[in-house]
Amino acid sequence: MHEPLNTAKNCRHYAMCKIDFLGSGVCASGPEKHYVSFYPQGRMDLYAALAEGKVPVTEKCLEIADTCDLCGKCDYQCYFVTELRPTKAMEALKDYVADHLEKSGEVVKEEVDEVLKELKKIVGDFWATSDRAIAVTYSHDPSPVAEPTMPDYVIMPETREEVSAIVKLLNLHDIPFAVRGNGSSVMGFVMSSGAVLDMNRMKTIEFDEKNWLVKTGAGVTAFDLQKSAQERGYRVNAAEPSALVCANIMCSGIFSLFSASYGTAADNYIDAEFVSKDGTPFKLSDKDAPNLFAFNPSDGTIPAICTSASIRLHPVTGDEEGILIPFATMDEALDFSKECATHRIGMAIGVLGGEYLSTFMAPTKKLAWEIKNTFQKELGIEYLVLVIGGKYDIKTIQNMELPTIDQELFKALYLGMPSLRSANWLSLLKEMSDDEPFSYLKLNGFTDLSETALSPSPEQLAKEVDPELQSFFKKLFDKPEMTDLVWLNMFRIISSRMGREKHVVALIIYLPIDNALIAEIDGEFRRIAEKHQIKNDYGFITPLDNGKRCVFEYDYYLDQNDPDEIAHMQQALGEAAMMIEGYVKKTGTVKSIFQLFTQGFCRKENFLYS
Amino acid sequence: MHPHNTPTIALTGATGFLGSHLMAALLEKGYHVIALGRSTDDATLSQRIANILKWFGKEVPTGRLDTIEINFSQEALGLDRPKYKELCQASDQMIHCASDTSFSERRRQQVFDSNVHSLNHILKFAADARLQFFHYISTAYACGMNGTACKEQLPNTTDFVNVYEESKAQAEKNIATFCEENAIPHTIIRPTIVYGDSRTGRSLKFNALYYPIRSLMAIRDIYLNDIKNNGGKKSQMHGIKMDEDGYLFLPLKIVLPKSGGLNLIPIDYFVNAALQIIQNPGTGEIYHISNKTPVKLDEIVNYNEPFMKVKGVEIVYDDSPENYDRNPAEELFDRYIKAYLPYMHDNRVFDRTNTDRATSDLQPAAFNHDIFVRCMNYAVKMEWGEKLKRLGI
Repeated sequence: MHEPLNTAKNCRHYAMCKIDFLGSGVCASGPEKHYVSFYPQGRMDLYAALAEGKVPVTEKCLEIADTCDLCGKCDYQCYFVTELRPTKAMEALKDYVADHLEKSGEVVKEEVDEVLKELKKIVGDFWATSDRAIAVTYSHDPSPVAEPTMPDYVIMPETREEVSAIVKLLNLHDIPFAVRGNGSSVMGFVMSSGAVLDMNRMKTIEFDEKNWLVKTGAGVTAFDLQKSAQERGYRVNAAEPSALVCANIMCSGIFSLFSASYGTAADNYIDAEFVSKDGTPFKLSDKDAPNLFAFNPSDGTIPAICTSASIRLHPVTGDEEGILIPFATMDEALDFSKECATHRIGMAIGVLGGEYLSTFMAPTKKLAWEIKNTFQKELGIEYLVLVIGGKYDIKTIQNMELPTIDQELFKALYLGMPSLRSANWLSLLKEMSDDEPFSYLKLNGFTDLSETALSPSPEQLAKEVDPELQSFFKKLFDKPEMTDLVWLNMFRIISSRMGREKHVVALIIYLPIDNALIAEIDGEFRRIAEKHQIKNDYGFITPLDNGKRCVFEYDYYLDQNDPDEIAHMQQALGEAAMMIEGYVKKTGTVKSIFQLFTQGFCRKENFLYS
Repeated sequence: MHPHNTPTIALTGATGFLGSHLMAALLEKGYHVIALGRSTDDATLSQRIANILKWFGKEVPTGRLDTIEINFSQEALGLDRPKYKELCQASDQMIHCASDTSFSERRRQQVFDSNVHSLNHILKFAADARLQFFHYISTAYACGMNGTACKEQLPNTTDFVNVYEESKAQAEKNIATFCEENAIPHTIIRPTIVYGDSRTGRSLKFNALYYPIRSLMAIRDIYLNDIKNNGGKKSQMHGIKMDEDGYLFLPLKIVLPKSGGLNLIPIDYFVNAALQIIQNPGTGEIYHISNKTPVKLDEIVNYNEPFMKVKGVEIVYDDSPENYDRNPAEELFDRYIKAYLPYMHDNRVFDRTNTDRATSDLQPAAFNHDIFVRCMNYAVKMEWGEKLKRLGI
């Protein structure tokens, strides 16, 4: 496949190009025009659609191509996540449009029908369109179970009143619609043949510090909210950085490693505003409001459109740190995480796979692959428990006399990662410390030794990336937050690297921290994936509600452009869903995120313990 | 009995260090060998044996080597009845060499399962096959920590350095009891620490003698990297520097609680001595294949200095090692050699009466600088065993 087209067709739709997660800025036209079409993600989709003859060159197409100034910022962002270089696709898009104009000059002017006229009256001329150059960028995602569906209209409301008026109008004309955040769930749920409401213009962030809340518009991303909160000395429980907060509550209740102490679902907010399915606005705190705190396992419909939520603020202390505790078995890691959760040690807790230090941290696939063996096979690190806490939490863990990777050692391992390829001194340690796994981590001066052996530096790590990008990445890796376990987990910018090699489909369940049950389900996920030849891996586990429950993610991967892999994945997902359903019925304690998908505003108790 | 009147020997552990050398020597002497063992994920037993013989520069001899995949932990060695019966009929003698050599207390169950519990099935086989002789390859350290004079007798102590020694001692006692009760002639052969071939330096395993050197080399490389790539900033903090003569000055004290040495024998000597014992066995006898002159760690450090171009390594004898402040290099070295430390200041003297009689006073080559360099050069060439793994060994 032509390289720019290959790049375009491999966009993961994680919407990372819509947030300034590297501090390098975002595509200038995006925040001005708001439609995803004016971000690199949309331009790649548009280029692929044009190249494959799915849409004609339209008026908006010219505007979209013209507003890209080939600044190259998207290369930094996308390379960080997927190693893709979108600029090549941007150039190809501009070339395509230029060629088209030179050859025929025909530019399609889309018809404005009566409904569109009405929609434009509500939101303004620019913010409602039926132009296929825009519509096509809302028509698909890499979900293996979703059929591409081109909407007739894309609408970008700015206020709750506009949302209300749009819903009433669409209902009047019997037009189906989907409400879209950033579509970063990539589950195929934000497409509709009628209209798509993109909430990205609703970007208000209003702090009410006296009441420890921040009123967040439906278009605010987790990254931007966290950043604003951090600037004022607070933290919020945020999901994937590009996910829109309100949408994310609705479809997952928001869970993160911080859910160990901040909770999930209704724990995350104080109040929220909605527009009902018939277009009536309401607040959750209204006495006669629909009861969204309840949970109904058989109800899969969206109860209303969230237009803002008052999110809880959490205090941040100056002594917070992250610490990683390695384990050779899942049993040991689960026991430890449960111990921490029940004793309320740490504010964020996660049982991570051993590849956290390779797949997530390595700047390239190649390096991740090369050092995965060092961590997992040579050092025997199969699982890591990450705990983020204040000085008392960290001290308590250190007093347990477990081998640990503290912030300082983590930094040395991270920036010295390339030297881990041939770290004979490390593999020798594993060989010779059989009696107590990872006991070498307890050596006095182990961090000093690691720094000596690995020569950690931003320069060294940056040498791993494309030569043209090394200068940028050297400066990036030099930023303190890039090696800060607290920052990295608050903002979650590296978890998107899971999809670097292949698109990831996360299977998420809630259950008690019952080691045998978890091992059994983990084995079932693996068995199903292997039966269908699907790449798969353990994701993570985070304790909830003081260790009474946990959220467990297992990941399946696929080449989003390979029809065979898509077919295999469809079969595997079907079987996995049946398997989960079996455990839901059999145990009474296992819950699936699919049950929560439209009910994330519920009380966690109603979901977890009903 | 083989048609040429040489006994057929069932051999376990033929893919290990001692067992592979015994196999090669037995084949060289014209014996018929039945190698009993298991496949790995990467290769069948036959492939593993063929790879090892290739390392010895030998082809798989036609008609004189059979391989049978067995499972020691199962009745009838995991074979079906006809195959088990066939094996019993074909075997004249057995050398049981397979062993779990882990020193790790954490692996106690696994070590005892391998070295003691599985033995019951091996001994049952010895009885079923009515073997002419059962030879058990043990370790000199099975005699435990019961004083400095170690007789060629069954262990009578419960004091051992590690679980490996303990399991081997228990195995010896079980073998002696079972064989006496079942009238199976048997020997117990106890080597001390075996290193590579004294004439060629070749070896298949790089532990014991090799660990301190390998450890020092890893530590040396850490600081050489620092000096080369970082201007030696970290090295300077710990007084580590490159001298003008091209030697790395690495101040590293190896603190030993008392004077003593390593009882080292080369593999070539072990094979010669063991074969002579097997050819001229005394039933129920124990044989120490050991060195009358243990090697002091000081000597090894001296040999190592020009080999590795490292100065500053020093042996200190003090029974209060906790009194020494350790720099990171020393901490790392201590961790590396922790499991082997007790064997580096060992004062035990191994009685060799039975061995000297059976081997006509055959003695091991005296360990010296040349042998050291030969062995270490080979170890480095083989990347401390990594290269052998890639060769399927």
